[in-house]
Amino acid sequence: MNRLLLPLLFALASAWPAASAHAQAKAQAEVAPAAVPAAAASAAFLDLRAQAPIRGDAQAGAGKATVCAACHGPQGVAVAPNFPNLAGQSATYLYVQLRQFHDGQRRDPVMSGQAAPLSDTDMRDLAAHFASLAPKPSGRADAGSRGARLFLAGDPARGIPPCQACHGVDALGPRVQPTGGAPHPPWATIPRLRGQSAIYLVKRLGDFRQGIRPGSSNTRIMEGVASTLDDADVQALAAYLSAL
Amino acid sequence: MRTHPMSRAILLALLAGGAPLAHAGDGSDTMRVGDMQYGNGLDPRGGSPLMTPDAEGMSWLHPGMLRTPSGALYPYPYTLAGKPVGQGGDWTYWGLLQLGYIHPGGDRNAEFFRQYTDWKNGAALGLFAMGFDNRRTGQYVEFRGSRISGDDQYYRLRAGRYGHYRLEAFYRDMPHTVSTNAFPIWDGIGGSNLTLPAGLTPGGSTIAAVQQASAAAPRRTLGLTRTRTGVSLEGELYRDWVGFASITNERRDGTRLWGGPMFFDYPFFTDTGSPYGGDGGIMETVRPIDFSTTDVDLGLRRVGKLWHFNALYTGSFFRDRKSYLDYQNPFLITNVIGVPNAGPVVDGEYSLEPDNDYHNLRLELSRELKWRGELSLAAAYGTMRQNDALLPPVNCTGTLGFAAGPLQQLIPCDLWNTPAALSRTHSGARIDTRLFDAKVTYHPRRNFCWHADLRYYDEDNKTRYLAYNPLTGQYGYISENGAQGSVVPGETGIFDNGYYAGSIVQIASIPFGYQDTVLELGAEWNVGRSDSLSLVYTFDHDRPRHRERTRLDEQRIKLSWVSRSLGDATLRASFEYGDRGGGRYDYDPYAAYYSTSMPGFVGAGGLPPPAFTVDAMRKYDMSDRKETKARVILIYPLGDSSTVSATFYGNRDHYDALVGRQDTRSTGFTGEWDWQPGPRTNASVYLGAETTRLKLANVADDESVVGAAGRDDPRFGGPLYPLENYWHDLDRERDYNAGVTFAHDFGRVRLDLAWNYAQSLSRLNYDLASPGALTFPQAAPLLDGRFPDNHYRSSTFDAGLSFPVTASIGVRLFGRYQSGSFLDWHYLGFDDTLVYDHRVYTDRGPQVHYRATLVGAMLSIKL
Repeated sequence: MNRLLLPLLFALASAWPAASAHAQAKAQAEVAPAAVPAAAASAAFLDLRAQAPIRGDAQAGAGKATVCAACHGPQGVAVAPNFPNLAGQSATYLYVQLRQFHDGQRRDPVMSGQAAPLSDTDMRDLAAHFASLAPKPSGRADAGSRGARLFLAGDPARGIPPCQACHGVDALGPRVQPTGGAPHPPWATIPRLRGQSAIYLVKRLGDFRQGIRPGSSNTRIMEGVASTLDDADVQALAAYLSAL
Repeated sequence: MRTHPMSRAILLALLAGGAPLAHAGDGSDTMRVGDMQYGNGLDPRGGSPLMTPDAEGMSWLHPGMLRTPSGALYPYPYTLAGKPVGQGGDWTYWGLLQLGYIHPGGDRNAEFFRQYTDWKNGAALGLFAMGFDNRRTGQYVEFRGSRISGDDQYYRLRAGRYGHYRLEAFYRDMPHTVSTNAFPIWDGIGGSNLTLPAGLTPGGSTIAAVQQASAAAPRRTLGLTRTRTGVSLEGELYRDWVGFASITNERRDGTRLWGGPMFFDYPFFTDTGSPYGGDGGIMETVRPIDFSTTDVDLGLRRVGKLWHFNALYTGSFFRDRKSYLDYQNPFLITNVIGVPNAGPVVDGEYSLEPDNDYHNLRLELSRELKWRGELSLAAAYGTMRQNDALLPPVNCTGTLGFAAGPLQQLIPCDLWNTPAALSRTHSGARIDTRLFDAKVTYHPRRNFCWHADLRYYDEDNKTRYLAYNPLTGQYGYISENGAQGSVVPGETGIFDNGYYAGSIVQIASIPFGYQDTVLELGAEWNVGRSDSLSLVYTFDHDRPRHRERTRLDEQRIKLSWVSRSLGDATLRASFEYGDRGGGRYDYDPYAAYYSTSMPGFVGAGGLPPPAFTVDAMRKYDMSDRKETKARVILIYPLGDSSTVSATFYGNRDHYDALVGRQDTRSTGFTGEWDWQPGPRTNASVYLGAETTRLKLANVADDESVVGAAGRDDPRFGGPLYPLENYWHDLDRERDYNAGVTFAHDFGRVRLDLAWNYAQSLSRLNYDLASPGALTFPQAAPLLDGRFPDNHYRSSTFDAGLSFPVTASIGVRLFGRYQSGSFLDWHYLGFDDTLVYDHRVYTDRGPQVHYRATLVGAMLSIKL
């Protein structure tokens, strides 16, 4: 019996990789070009772990940004503090957000409608355009504030990790470190927070704490982080980052 | 809290009746208690129903992360997904109950089928698991349990708060079958007093009667159950200070095969033609196992920025509830001079393991130095002590021995069967150990580091026991209590200045110990970005006490190379060479502990005592030795989802010994292919092969010289140890292991298959300088230079099918088919009878061929 079983199992094991590779190749060809969804993820979940930095035509994007300027400002600095500043933001982050609005994974009364007709090229161009704009000038943040301490060092006793680990020590986004050949984390999908409005930051952190942000692998990280923060922490962080 | 009513009932039953939980504890993952793995025959990994591969991978931040830095595959992380997770405030909780039925069939009693699993036909608890987590506070509670039978089960509770403290507790029973094919002739198996059944006369049965009793003895299974309980607690005490405490108790309860007296053996067999048989008195008995070992560990450590401190106390307390084994001897034991004994040899007694207390305190201190260096100091003190009441030399009554003319060898038992016959009433045994270790490490450059380590260890045996009987003024002990040795002239074991003045017996314990100093120097270079080389030199200076050498020096050098420059492969290669030598070799350092050193010793027949052993003898741990070891490990990723790994190794030891161990070799290969294309599929193929050989040589003494002039000559080639009595044996063994595993989740059904094959073949060859090397030279024409081959083979095929019935109920069907064969020439002839003349054996040995099956069905209920 065992003499028969061994070659059978070998044959099965040998045949499997070919069949599986074919199925995988077919599946990958059908997914969104930039993001690789998790194998068993639902439609509302976006796996960003393999998201490569995107490229777009900033100049073309400038020509498509007229409507955006109504809220986000002609130079990407929002006209009101409830809107995020887009100037100098990571292009990949902006693209992912637009794509989520476009695909219905993220919903907003205004943005869902605005993103719906955009093509993939439009979204890349718009993202490249806003990323190319000069960010909002720096302010004067209190380096000794509680917000600064949380951002830079976290609070290990309460399980709060330092925000700078991903968002960069100056909140201008992460710095890419050598990984010795191992795959990089999707650094480009992580937003820059420097100079973002406090009202917007409080709302976003609140969304994470309440679990109402759309599902992506980055959201899962932030939900865990935000669950360690209380209201005072959120206010302190928002005040610090908005003044940076 | 949403729980299934059945789960509450089981939990209440466990807590109420059980006591197990109340006493349980475990240091899994920390090694502080010792139980690293919880599983059983149903599920060796433990908790498999909870191990659902998580398609989302290891980390939300890092893609992939399914390989180790050297390229081996990690399994997909397990998730609780698929189980309904309840929510109550900040707590989430889950539970799973897996209950079912198992049915073993075929040769279900085959020893190798049930060696470590108590397979029984009936209901079994596959797994009962519950978990509670508080994501806000980091607190958690987890319980797991599984039960195949009352002797094969485990329950474990873990609770704690991440980053603060952890409590672990456990209770487990683990079976170990020693034999399923035992036929002891005695009554009282499992106890301390083995008595002969009706029909046998202690000290006076015919061989036929003993054979009949053996044939009529019921088949028994011998084995024991290990019951472990324990509790451990670890937590932060103050800032950087972490403390832990654990206590475990292991009880071993059951039986095992026990040798027995071995005197006389075949060499002196005389066929008397009497229905009572000839010489000898060899019995394979059954002894009770009734041990407990309690381990206590206390630790305190501090990890500061500059200084690191670690203190550890380990205590281990062994207790044996049965201190002796008494047995009745069925055979008529005769002296060899043909006169009747003063009384029959009826009873024998063994002293079983003494209670033992062990304490060890270890302190470690390390400090960071400049140039990324570190200084580490460690010191430890340990002591092992035994102080049981000693048993008297014999348990006989009346008088042993005989009186015939000048041979007046009468031993009144009442002068030897009482503790008053001992030089002291308690053993007072003690061994102390001391350790000091200093190590310094520096990284003066990023690509270079070196270290130096000096280690001193001393084992001081303070035990001193003199075998002296104050009632008789004699030294030694009655040898082979219950067997022929006690009544044969010259073999009784007693020394005095009178009748026994020529007896060569050990009169005192030998306080073996040693003092070891080791110096190690090492350096490591990173050559480029992908290669590293290391070189380690070790000098080991050992000073044994009361051994053949007072000094042993060994120098070792080890060269290692780790490379990632060969494409995607990771290569680890090492080569090690050691050369051991030492001071003068004294083939007999034990004279002071034998009666030959006593005043009044007179060699029998006016001759000097025979040589202790041949002077060319070199014991393997004392001889000059050259050792070579080589190892190559290769890990090669094949695509994104599979890895091939292979290990080649070889060890060669050459001992400079004309007599003794001369040569050992082992060469091996292991290879494995792992494939994991996705979370739903994994497979592996593995293969291992190893060959080992052991060569030794010895020289038989010339029996005609043992009682004649020249018997004190230890020379190899002398009259007592002539060259023509020289012989070698070569023990070769080949072991193979291979297997295939495959698991795939088809969506509605999950299939898992596994096949494992193991084979061992051993061959023993010998050659003789002449038939004089044999005890019976006349048997030489019958010999072909080899013993019959021994072999062991086992093949096990497992298959399982799991599928859900509803959202919370699933079914698992599984089966096992195991076949094997076993042949060991030590058991040959036992199918006919277990009694050969004055020898009675108990174990017929494992089944030569067996085929066993196991089928089962489990219902999984998510709570």
